[in-house]
Order: sequence, then structure tokens, then C-alpha cells
Amino acid sequence: MTDGMRLRQVRKSFGPLEVIHGVDLVVGEGEFVVFVGPSGCGKSTLLRMIAGLEEVSDGDIEIGGKDVTDLDPSQRGIAMVFQSYALYPHMSVRENLGFGLSMANVPKAEIAAQVDAAAKILKIEPLLDRRPGQLSGGQRQRVAIGRAIVRKPQVFLFDEPLSNLDAELRVSMRIEIARLHRELGNTMVYVTHDQTEAMTLADKIVVLRDGVVEQVGTPREVYEHPANTFVAGFIGSPRMNLLTASVQGTGKVVVAGAEIEVPATDTANGGKVTVGLRPEHLVVSPEAPGTLRATVDFCEYLGGTRYVYCQLSDGQNLVAEQREGEDLAVNKLIHFAWKPSELRLFDPQGIKLF
Amino acid sequence: MSATAKQARQRRKFWGGFGYHAFGIGAALFFFAPFAWTGLASLRTGSEAQQPPLPPWPTNSISFDTYAVLDTFGAGVWQHIFNSTIVALATVVLTVIVSLLAGYGFSRYRFPLKNVFFVLIIATLMIPFQSILTPLFIILAKLGLNNSLVGLVLVYVTLQLPFSVFMMRNAFDAVPREIEEAARIDGARDLKLLIKVLLPLVMPGVATVAIFAFLNSWNEFLAALILLSDNQKYTLPVLMTAVRAGRLGAINWGAVQAGVMVMTIPCLVVFLILQRYYMRGLMAGAVK
Repeated sequence: MTDGMRLRQVRKSFGPLEVIHGVDLVVGEGEFVVFVGPSGCGKSTLLRMIAGLEEVSDGDIEIGGKDVTDLDPSQRGIAMVFQSYALYPHMSVRENLGFGLSMANVPKAEIAAQVDAAAKILKIEPLLDRRPGQLSGGQRQRVAIGRAIVRKPQVFLFDEPLSNLDAELRVSMRIEIARLHRELGNTMVYVTHDQTEAMTLADKIVVLRDGVVEQVGTPREVYEHPANTFVAGFIGSPRMNLLTASVQGTGKVVVAGAEIEVPATDTANGGKVTVGLRPEHLVVSPEAPGTLRATVDFCEYLGGTRYVYCQLSDGQNLVAEQREGEDLAVNKLIHFAWKPSELRLFDPQGIKLF
Repeated sequence: MSATAKQARQRRKFWGGFGYHAFGIGAALFFFAPFAWTGLASLRTGSEAQQPPLPPWPTNSISFDTYAVLDTFGAGVWQHIFNSTIVALATVVLTVIVSLLAGYGFSRYRFPLKNVFFVLIIATLMIPFQSILTPLFIILAKLGLNNSLVGLVLVYVTLQLPFSVFMMRNAFDAVPREIEEAARIDGARDLKLLIKVLLPLVMPGVATVAIFAFLNSWNEFLAALILLSDNQKYTLPVLMTAVRAGRLGAINWGAVQAGVMVMTIPCLVVFLILQRYYMRGLMAGAVK
């Protein structure tokens, strides 16, 4: 796999404040990478640094094996789709699509051919002579994507492109972008705070927090084997239950008075660790050793599934997702069991133990 | 719904619309009346022009005598129209160029003391320009620019800039940054970016600045009177005082009316050309 893009110790400071703390990342050619993280984590800043819209304070960025750290945005072989579309309102759709090429002094006939080709891919041919003001939100976003396609970039950059669309349109545009990636085969970098977009689109998810990469992996890796408690809590909705536990000898921890078997750990007796359990892995079961006893607080019925919010005897909260079974009455005492392979354990610093 | 209720509603709608339009037409006539009065009065014959003003329209025949009389004042009306046009156009062009660049700079760049400079520029609006006429006169004299249209243009541009820079900064502030960034990714830089992408978006601001610069320099009297001393170089407002002062104690009111028309028409034309930029919501559709 050749390099689509490589970031080496990339840093960004605004005055004395460092917001990106040395990010290393390798993106293979044709990969679809999604940056996720809470707002303010630096994901948009990182994308804008790749685009050349923010200066890189330290480190370097390579695209297609070429160092682009100090190049002008137009020289980097990238194209960007903005959340707000950022179309040129005084130009027709055709002029919007062709603007980049006309700036590069491409002959008119060739511009027309490329604009038509992009319009065909996105099915916006009937809109070519309209102004952005005459288009709906979804159509505008298509035009914005079309403007990116026409540039024939090595890397597509998407900055929360679907956030301004309504829920239904978001789903169809998401599928559209996935189709586009399959057809064009370009490297794509996509910033979002929407987990569904991240999980469904990504070949590789990059989870960021406070300007630091917390984990890089496929959606499955990130979901099933989170590197730390932050990733475990951030990916998945409702979030993974993270329960404080204390180590009791090798292979045993105590959560809210219940003894739970875990693989052996190095943590000293009595040390605090965190047990991670996904809501969908918790099954209501008869009382038995190694189960968690909880009181039902309330239930949310969502049709296909049901969220049961509970409290453990020591006050910790627990959410379980139930696909079947009867409704659970409030204040009812129940017991949860799970498969040992589904339990995650994190050390006192929150780093994954297994 | 019963037929009577329907009729009542239609009647209400008719009278509502009638009142709305009647008021609009009335207000329009009210504002149009002075122009009509002056325009019609300027078409009276030479002898009729000296008679009492009512009725204000020509009673015998239409004539352009008064315009011919106007041409006998100063260095001939065409010379003064030419002077005024040059001064006004140069003021507009210079003001637009400088305020476009300054507004862009104040809106987009970060530099030390930016806000202090901006406030200082705006603060000059508070200085009555009559109070600085003497120093201006001395400065222009030192530069060898007194009694020259170039000097007058420089004074007008200076007086026009604070408002214009303020206007253009606001216009640029209203342009979403993403549009500029998209253009930079598309390869537009510096002047190309400013002219091809941003200028059309700040056109309403440019139109406002241009209209104000034109009207103010076209109509300005005091500075022109003081800074120009050569009959050949007078602008129209200075000429008009000569017309209004009359000759040998006799004021030719026809010529005054004709002069007012000559001064008004270009202002109307400029406004009509540029006003559509006020109406057009160019920003619509750029971003959500």
C-alpha cells in the first residue's frame, strides 16, 4: 500500500496555546479516514492544516509522497467540502464547478468536459445553469462535492459535510459519499462528530481528544477493543458502562460488592481498575455468582430495542440494551450477566488491559 | 362560507389595497413635486422666466432659453460640468479602491493595534471638516496643489474615507470565511481572489460607497469655493452661486432652475444605475 498521506509530529499552536500535540498518522492510498472526537478536540483544525488553511507550527505533512507542509492550498492536490458548502453565490453551478480549473488556466473545452463529467457522477446536470441560491440544501452539498471532484485531487477533505442537512437527507448523502468513494477510489479524510457517519463510512477511524490521537483503527477495532476509557466511552451509543472496580487477588475484581472474574492483571491487590461492559452485552439473568445486581431506575422504549437505566448498590449507573423480554418495573431488583469475552478491563490510568 | 361574508371580505381586501396604493402614490408625488416644479420651470421662455412663479410650467411654448443663459455664466456650463464630472468620478474611483483594500485588511488580517487604528479612522468622522479647512488649504498650498482639481479630489477622498472604510469592513465581515478558503483551495490568490470572488459579494457595499462619494463630491460647495480660485476650474456648485447671485442686481431665475436640473440629473442617473445592488440579496444561497 502506497502512502496516500502521512503526518509526522504535526503540531499547532495559537500563541502560547498548543492545540494539536504532535500527531502522527499514516493514511494508505484510497483509504477512507474519519476523524472523530468531541467538539474542541482539534479534528477540524487538523483537517484545515492538511488543507493548508491553517499554518503548521511544527512537524510535516506529506501527500502522495510529497512534502506539502509549506505549499499553497491549491498546490497540495487536495479538495475540500465545507459544512456550509461555501459555494460562490454570484456564479452559476457550472462556473462554481469550473472555477478551480479556470484559475489553473485549463482550456475552456476541457473545463466544460470535466464539469459535465462531474455533474454526471452527481446527477446534477439539470442544475448546471442555476445559482446556488436557487438550490436546496442537498443539491448545494452535491455541487460542493462536485467542485471537489472536478479538481481531481489526490485527497478529498470533508469538514462535517452533512451537519447542515436534515436527518433523512443525511442518510442518503452518507450512502452517496460511500458510493463516490468506491467509484473514485481516492483517499478521503472526513471530519464528523456523528458516530454513525464515522462507523459506516470509515476504513479507519481516528479518535481525537484535546489535540491528541487516542486511537487509530478500523471501526470494529475501535468499537470492540477501545484503547482506553475515553474511546470506550466516546464510541457507541448509549455509551459503554465504565464501572469502577477494585482488584481482589489475581483474576478477580469487586464491583459494587459483586465478585467478577477477569483475566489475571498486574495491578496490586485493592488497586482501582475500570470494568467496561457494552449495554447490548448485558443480559437479565437469575441471581448467580459473577452477576451484577441492580435496581431499575427507568426504561426507554424505542420500538426495536429498549434501554434500561439502572443503579448498582454503590450508586454507580448502568445502562442495558434489551431486545426482548418483558418490560421491567421501576425499582425492580434484577441481575445482569454477560459473556466473559465481552468484558473489557482498563488499568488505573484508563489504559486498556485487555 | 356565506356569499355575504365572502363579499365583505373582498370589499375589505379592495379598500385595504386601495388605501395602501393611494398612500404610496401620494408619498411618491410629494417627493417628486420639487423635481417636477424645477424641471417644468426651467423650460419656460426667457421672458416668462422673469414672471411670478405660478403656474410653474411654461404657458406659451417650451424653450431651452434658460439653459442657453446658463451657458453664459463662468467659463461656460460645459466646462464646469466637465470639472465636476472629473472631480466626482476621480473621487469615486479613488475612494472605492482605497476603501476596498482597507476594508478587506481590517476585516481579514490580524495585525497589532488593528482596533486602535480602526477607531481612529472612525473618530475622524466626528471632526467637522469646516474646522480643518484652513490647515487643509495650507497643506495643499505646500504641496503645490491649491487651485487644482487634483488637490480637490484628494480632499474629497480624505473626507469620504472614514465612512467608506467602515462600510467596506462591514461588507467584508458579512462574507463567510469559508468562501474565501474555498477560493484559495481553488487556486485564487491575492488580487484575483479579491476581484473574482470577493468583489461581487461586497458589491452592495461598493455601490453604497460609490453613491455617497459621488453625491458628496458632486454637491460639495465650501471646500471647492475655498480651494479653487480660477474661474476655469470651478465646479458646478461654485458656478451656481454665481448664477444665484445674478448680474447687475438681476437674478435670472430661469437659469437657476436650469442649473438645478443640470446638477440633479447626474445624481439621479448614478443612483438608478447602482440601486439594484441594494435590492439584490447576493449572499443568499452561499452558506446555510
